Amino acid sequence: MNQEAIQTKMRQRAKELLNSGAVTMVLGWEAGTFWYQSTPILIRQAEDADKLVWNDFCQNNLSKYLLDFRFTNEKIALFLKGCDSRAFNRLLQDKQIEREKTYIIGIPCEGMKDHRLAQSKNEGDDLPLAKICQSCRYPNPVIYDELLTEEVTPRQKIVDFSDVEAIEQMSADERYEFWQKEHTKCIRCYACRNVCPACNCRKCIFDQATSGWNSKDVNASENQFYAMTRAIHIAGRCIECGQCEYVCPANIPIMLMNKKLIKDIDLLFGDYDAGLSIEGQPPLGHFEKDDPEEFM
Amino acid sequence: MQILEKSKLDDFLQMLAKHQPVIVPTDVDGLSQYAPYQAQMTLLLDGKPTVSPKGIFLPQTEAIYRFKAQGKNLLIAEMENQQTPQVLFFVRHCDVQGIVCLDKVFMSPEYTDQQYAKKREITTIFALRCNGSKESCFCTSMGVDPEKANPAAADVEVYDLGDQFAFEALNERGEKVLSQAAELLSNQDNVILPPVPERKLQLKTEGLPEKLSTTFDAPIWNDFMFKCLGCGTCTYLCPTCHCFDINNKLRGEDGLKLRTWDSCMFDEYTLMAGGHQPRTGKKERIRNRFLHKLQYFYEKHQMFLCVGCGRCLTKCPMNIDISKFVQQVMKEESR
Ligand code: SF4
Ligand code: SF4
Ligand code: SF4
Ligand code: SF4
Repeated sequence: MNQEAIQTKMRQRAKELLNSGAVTMVLGWEAGTFWYQSTPILIRQAEDADKLVWNDFCQNNLSKYLLDFRFTNEKIALFLKGCDSRAFNRLLQDKQIEREKTYIIGIPCEGMKDHRLAQSKNEGDDLPLAKICQSCRYPNPVIYDELLTEEVTPRQKIVDFSDVEAIEQMSADERYEFWQKEHTKCIRCYACRNVCPACNCRKCIFDQATSGWNSKDVNASENQFYAMTRAIHIAGRCIECGQCEYVCPANIPIMLMNKKLIKDIDLLFGDYDAGLSIEGQPPLGHFEKDDPEEFM
Repeated sequence: MQILEKSKLDDFLQMLAKHQPVIVPTDVDGLSQYAPYQAQMTLLLDGKPTVSPKGIFLPQTEAIYRFKAQGKNLLIAEMENQQTPQVLFFVRHCDVQGIVCLDKVFMSPEYTDQQYAKKREITTIFALRCNGSKESCFCTSMGVDPEKANPAAADVEVYDLGDQFAFEALNERGEKVLSQAAELLSNQDNVILPPVPERKLQLKTEGLPEKLSTTFDAPIWNDFMFKCLGCGTCTYLCPTCHCFDINNKLRGEDGLKLRTWDSCMFDEYTLMAGGHQPRTGKKERIRNRFLHKLQYFYEKHQMFLCVGCGRCLTKCPMNIDISKFVQQVMKEESR
């Protein structure tokens, strides 16, 4: 099914769900200011459903917005791509959202386009897929109430760790210099944290400046402390949506660090992909008595 | 006007760099910003850097003073600031206006911030008259003159003539810097200036502050705020946002008093000592950001605290767009 047909179906389903009273609102995407931007929209009236779009730039992961409605009685329909659906599971597993209060319309996803490159191009120009989408293994929603189209063929079968391996092969000094350069650019806007579906602590340690854990000064060392803490905190829970890298205004390759952790977890605990299902426990979210680590 | 062949730009900057540090727009490890000039550097001349020049005057982190706490005694020591003159190159008119906005705050008749004022004093600013506008630029709608850089901040105006640059000193300070490389410059009268490119994005802003003064409780704020991440992207990249926080950095008995950028989009901002948060949600925070830029600041200083640079339009990961908001407000019958 082409994009336009999917979009038509999206609008139609949104209208039906709102009109029937099955849901109180619909979360989707609408056209942004420029052609390379699509942006989340919240729809309450059926007549607004025609604002919904489906195109190459519907990157934003809508699952995290459910947190804002945690303490309401809204019944929310939302459109989820493959990666977004893993985020949904992740939030379910963390007991942050209730499945009954949602209605998931899954969209098997052909991949989004590189929005940064698009800014220097004209509408209609050929664009490569976004980096994260090129290596997507789960384009088909893993949890849904209905699917808008037939499932698509995954672009990759196994994780491509070649970029991580390239960093691993560096000497310790080279690696340090590489990350030092990257983290010097960080402006500590916390967009990467705020967009992340695995970041859902009630109070983030980086919002407690008076605690003394971290300092508000922005320099390579504090930025690195932030970046590494963020990465470690989502270890075993990152669902590879790439939103952190997508939103970073400083173009820092954040996913590289996340992927390193995914690789290490696969190695230490056996292959694990977060958010594929809510069954079982995340590797770092439970313990077993016969854990080889003595202090457990 | 004084003319420089573009092929001599590197020589010119090197010559100036012998006298004082020179700061230029360039790409550093994948993030465009203003950085110290080095020979043969690739300059960014066909667009604005992502990071605005405000950090040159209001650094993201700045030590205010040192202190030492010994028992009941507190010793305070000034920072040893050895600041020498510097030249800041190729600041577009929107960003020049941004510096004028900062001046209003940090060098007001009521109070002068010494550290800020010092940096302004030692910095000669070369403005660059617009040589190509982007689809997100709406400076002309926000009171920025595309023909003339605001002389309250610019010292030299630079015109892009294609193969040459023309320099026009706007004051003595500018003249002095230009004279450091006089041998590379030739005088020319009646320079024909290329037309300033048309702005694609034009907004009606007449009467906007008055109109906004009645919107505080209007439904207009409910529409698109839900998608905001509450991150610092818009305010940190904005050339005019100037909020800061004061922190202590302690190491044993020694301490540093720091000033760091802050953002009204963070949920710690306006958090009170007792834990009360008067600005409760995204709507309240965005309302503050937009009203500060388009109403409160205007009421106080008769200029907008938005210079239409378009950074927040393209960099906000959720596309929260102040220009669309302005259009919407101006369209609505008095709300
Ligand atoms: S989004 Fe980028 S610049 Fe912002 S805090 Fe994260 S790493 Fe730093
Ligand atoms: S408006 Fe955009 S850039 Fe600003 S805080 Fe919200 S999401 Fe971040
Ligand atoms: S509010 Fe946006 S467009 Fe206006 S000056 Fe700031 S960054 Fe530029
Ligand atoms: S918009 Fe917000 S961050 Fe910017 S100057 Fe105003 S209050 Fe400060």
